[in-house]
Amino acid sequence: MNAIHIRGATKVFNPGKSSQVEALADIDLAVEPGEFITLIGPSGCGKSTLLRLISSLALPTTGSVEVNGKPAEQARLDRDYGMAFQTSGLFDWRTVAKNIELPLELMGWSKADRRRRSSEMLELVKLGDFAKHHPSELSGGMQQRVAIARALAFSPSILLMDEPFGALDEMTREHMQDELLRIWRDTGTTLVFVTHSIPEAVYLSTRVVVMSPRPGRIAAVIDVGLGDRQASTRDDPAFFSKVTEVRAALREVEG
Amino acid sequence: MRIARQTATFVLFLALLAGLYTGYKAFGQAIDDRQHGWAVVGSVLPRTDDLNMPPISEIFGQFWETPGGQDRIYIRILLDEAVFTLREAFAGFLVGSAIGMAIALALAQWRRLEQGLLPYVIASQTIPLIAIAPIIVIWGRKNFDFFPWEWQDWMSVSVIATYLTFFPVAVNGLRGLQSPRPENRELMESYAANWGQTLWRLRLPASLPYLFAALKIAATASIVGAIVGEISAGVEGGLGRRILREAFNYTTGPDRLFASVLGAAVLGIFVFLAVTGVERLVVGRWGRGAAA
Repeated sequence: MNAIHIRGATKVFNPGKSSQVEALADIDLAVEPGEFITLIGPSGCGKSTLLRLISSLALPTTGSVEVNGKPAEQARLDRDYGMAFQTSGLFDWRTVAKNIELPLELMGWSKADRRRRSSEMLELVKLGDFAKHHPSELSGGMQQRVAIARALAFSPSILLMDEPFGALDEMTREHMQDELLRIWRDTGTTLVFVTHSIPEAVYLSTRVVVMSPRPGRIAAVIDVGLGDRQASTRDDPAFFSKVTEVRAALREVEG
Repeated sequence: MRIARQTATFVLFLALLAGLYTGYKAFGQAIDDRQHGWAVVGSVLPRTDDLNMPPISEIFGQFWETPGGQDRIYIRILLDEAVFTLREAFAGFLVGSAIGMAIALALAQWRRLEQGLLPYVIASQTIPLIAIAPIIVIWGRKNFDFFPWEWQDWMSVSVIATYLTFFPVAVNGLRGLQSPRPENRELMESYAANWGQTLWRLRLPASLPYLFAALKIAATASIVGAIVGEISAGVEGGLGRRILREAFNYTTGPDRLFASVLGAAVLGIFVFLAVTGVERLVVGRWGRGAAA
């Protein structure tokens, strides 16, 4: 069974009005469990919209989106997803630990279980000493790690991330990429990750989905196949040749 | 340290104001403003004789004097009156804040309601308080007999305080409830959170900084409402009643009117600081990331 299976999905905003926009056309995509997929493309190519279709925060105009073998809406109600956005979206009024426990509260976990889980997650993102801090006392990178911990707290089978590292500086960003890869390997979560950055897409994913704009389509799907990432991967000629390949595909879609 | 510096600044400004008052008075006396030789002093600005501007020392000295026919010093009398007014105002503040928040919740929930109801909420505040206060008092005496308890005049005063209180809470509460960013709302949606969970865990806490801004206004407004209400309702006791009485007796004791008005101002500052204190306890720990 595919983790995510999209068949002939389209998305039209404001259909029938003068402001009608065709955001997505003819999207077909199947994602295996445990894959790391990045969506990349120029602005307006609908990659965030595609992510929202998968998460059922938006519904496709035609076609279908199946997640874990059921409609996306049902998967959302079953809490199969964790989500992380460009801004960490932490709640200012909650401590770091309480932020991570938010989804667990909504799912009716007991207080002791929530405590245990949030401290496990804090260890996972290496913020064990910050449980009682408030988000405003953390750096941007640390906030984003808390957001990832929150997204993973209830062990969703799928993690959807919309440019989560977009607002971070280059050093923090590379560090976060390594952290995310480690978490992905440790948890076996299926990951769909939206990004603007070609090296980021190549470094992180098993497959890069290149999208073209107006209307958004899948222009190419590139298998990365770099194996386990190490510090040296970023300087590996194989890494650069994949970056070149993705760049060429992007150049083509931008005409 | 911060408290010490704030207190020092406050005292400094108080001294400055007192100096300005005294300086102006001395100047007016020196040029003999009753002669109208100067266009502004004693015409646009008040005259400087002791009836119009009692000396600061007299006003403050009044606090420790025992008025004729009384067994307490004046500051003690004012304190008792202030407690009376504070009780009326606090009842109005509580009820008004609850009503304001209920209106904010309803307006946030139904957008159509916002368009329909909000103009009336705003219009309610354009009616002068002095005009509706007697109506509320009369209604209270004649009509409010469906309550299980006997309607007292001070309750009418609280209703008047309520009338001033609910408005800032409703308007700011609505803004606060609508303040969560889209990604926060979508996060709750992605967890399949229901309406109540989203309200309790996201919208209400997010509204708190806005709410406290409103509660500070509401608290001082409830004091104003109670004082004006007391004057209209003719209740026995309260700062409003006291101010009215001192105004009647102005010619024989102008310093007492000034002292009682000062008392009202201090009460307003007190409730403002009380709400600020609660705000620090509740919102203070959120740190610089908190909204507004």
